[in-house]
Amino acid sequence: MTVSALQRAEARLARRMLAPALGVITLVALVPIAATMWEALHQHDLRLPWLGRPFVGLANFTEAFGDPRFGEAVLHVVLFALISVPLELALGLALALLMHRVGCGRDPVRVLALLPWAVPTVVAALVWRFMFDAQAGVVNLVAGAGGYDWFVDPLVAWIPILVADVWKTTPFVAILLFAGLQAIDPALEDAARIDGAGPWCRLVTITWPLLKPALLVAAAFRALDALRLFDLPYVLTAGGPGTATEPLSLYAYTALMQRLRFGYGSALSVLVFVLAFGVALLFVRALSRSIAGEQA
Amino acid sequence: MSLVIRRCPLCGFALLTAAALACGGEAASRLTFSSSTLGTEGAIVRRQLDRFAAAHPEATVEIRVTPDAADQRHQLYVQWLNARSVEPDVLQLDIIWTAEFAAAGWLLPLTRFSPDTTDFFSAAVTADTWGGTLYAVPWFVDAGLLYWRTDLFAEAPGSLAELQADAADAVARGDAEFGLAWQGARYEGLVTVFVEHLGAFGGRILDADGRVVVDSPEAVAALRFMRTAVAAGGFVPDSALTWQEEQVRFTFQNGRAAFMRNWPYAWVLVQGEDSRVAGRVGVAPFPAADGGRPTAALGGAQLAVNANTEEPELAWALVEFLTAPEQMLERARVAAQLPARQSLYDDPALAEALPLPLDDVRRALEATVPRPVTPVYSELSDILQVQLHRALTGQQEPAAALAVAAAGMRALLDRTGLAPEAGP
Repeated sequence: MTVSALQRAEARLARRMLAPALGVITLVALVPIAATMWEALHQHDLRLPWLGRPFVGLANFTEAFGDPRFGEAVLHVVLFALISVPLELALGLALALLMHRVGCGRDPVRVLALLPWAVPTVVAALVWRFMFDAQAGVVNLVAGAGGYDWFVDPLVAWIPILVADVWKTTPFVAILLFAGLQAIDPALEDAARIDGAGPWCRLVTITWPLLKPALLVAAAFRALDALRLFDLPYVLTAGGPGTATEPLSLYAYTALMQRLRFGYGSALSVLVFVLAFGVALLFVRALSRSIAGEQA
Repeated sequence: MSLVIRRCPLCGFALLTAAALACGGEAASRLTFSSSTLGTEGAIVRRQLDRFAAAHPEATVEIRVTPDAADQRHQLYVQWLNARSVEPDVLQLDIIWTAEFAAAGWLLPLTRFSPDTTDFFSAAVTADTWGGTLYAVPWFVDAGLLYWRTDLFAEAPGSLAELQADAADAVARGDAEFGLAWQGARYEGLVTVFVEHLGAFGGRILDADGRVVVDSPEAVAALRFMRTAVAAGGFVPDSALTWQEEQVRFTFQNGRAAFMRNWPYAWVLVQGEDSRVAGRVGVAPFPAADGGRPTAALGGAQLAVNANTEEPELAWALVEFLTAPEQMLERARVAAQLPARQSLYDDPALAEALPLPLDDVRRALEATVPRPVTPVYSELSDILQVQLHRALTGQQEPAAALAVAAAGMRALLDRTGLAPEAGP
């Protein structure tokens, strides 16, 4: 009796102490999301005030699904995620293993490896744009391809975006995986070595399974960022040529902030949110499965 | 006054109140003005506003600084005006915004001041008129120009075919790396270049009734010409598809291109000390192909009055003052901006004030065509920019791209109730 009364009191206290945090989350996250969803159900064009702001139900969403530019933008971010995330995970893992092994000068190596992550994305994008410049860019200088323009072919224009993204975010993946490696008990490795396991065998049977949760977390962060891709194309290609490198967020931004179609732009923003949320759920589930598998 | 107060305290009180009210009234005669304020433009605006304030002792004029990038200024204006802000009282508008703001009810109709527009370029007045009512006064005009090298060619090309041949020759002779440079990035500048090619082939974006005709055979021919020019083996570099005004100017100014399409602002710079082609540059209207006429895209700035202004009379006085011939001449001299009044082009003072060759500029101004005058211009332009850029980068055939653009524009006009059948 007294125990459960105590538990109830504890629970009450917990609720009270959580209340401020929940209130803040409601105010800064839930209310704006709800407001955006409500706006998405209206036709609201700031530049056509004579049309008013009528409730149009799901018309904006219907328009989005019939809009080829929207379909292409979704395709762009999905393909970008599928290509960039594995690259970043592979390079990040290699970098993490290196950092893990390096004996002397550990700290300078880690700081150097983290540097690209510390550079603001817009600044990094500007630097990459200059490096890929057709006339004066260092990339063409090194490749001996003077005058080749990287930004006029619909597929080639993705290369600077991909390179900049991999350069910028591999350190983030590396540091996450490095932390995961540090958490693995060195005794396991020693035992395996004594049993005669070679380096590859140790990597596959010990490091990989124990690193899996960290890998999943890194993949989740990177995949979500890739789906919300915005700043690199904004600076590097402005979504061009045509709309060949336009990600979903950039299209939503264009509709909302440049064309000032608040209803349609909000509908696009809601769809970005739904896409990211769905992928986040998938990762959360995979992560809990992986942890459960480890404990079993 | 002391006498009055002693005899009749109430009268004295009334007098004091009246005086206070008068002071209050004077303080309320405050105008806010928003325009480009960078560099020489800012200096000239401040000087002219000071003169206006000196002539109207009851008024003070404040400058509301706005971003110089057109898109950002547009966005800010829309936010202010949509919120029914009383400021700024007087606004500098880009020529393509007037119809949009007028249809939204954000601008004061100027008919009540019975303005005299006969002296202004008619293309600019057309762009400032919506539904038969004048909403803005042309301040200065801009016209797309073909810059050519006087050391490479004896005269400016008389036709588009000549331009193509001259440009190819210059590259073949090794006189220049590229034949022609124009603004090909996906932005408003691309539309102005397209408008000039379109006119050269005899096409238009909207016809006189507001019907979409951008998929006409003339328009397809114009876009094919541009695509051939920029494709491999053409006389326009493919990098031009990422260039705006300044990259085009650098290319020409460094002697790398034999021709350039640009606005009048480039003249002073390509003739300046940093330029490798100084003293060897001429300007002409962009030439025509068979069946079309030389066409220059019309740009420039307008002055309009906020519909919610508390000082309509004073705001109009400021617009009249800034668009008067003396102020325009001073602007031409200091900022090299072209006056919007035709009569000034007969005035020897302008020839003296303006650094550009006046006769060539005048020929280009006579060839100016406004972009479509419609409240949804910026969306129309956005649709066109995407399809033009897709065609020019080889992602789609010109005819197919223009068909998609035309369909999108028609849907937009239908959706907004601006289709010619429905009437505005």
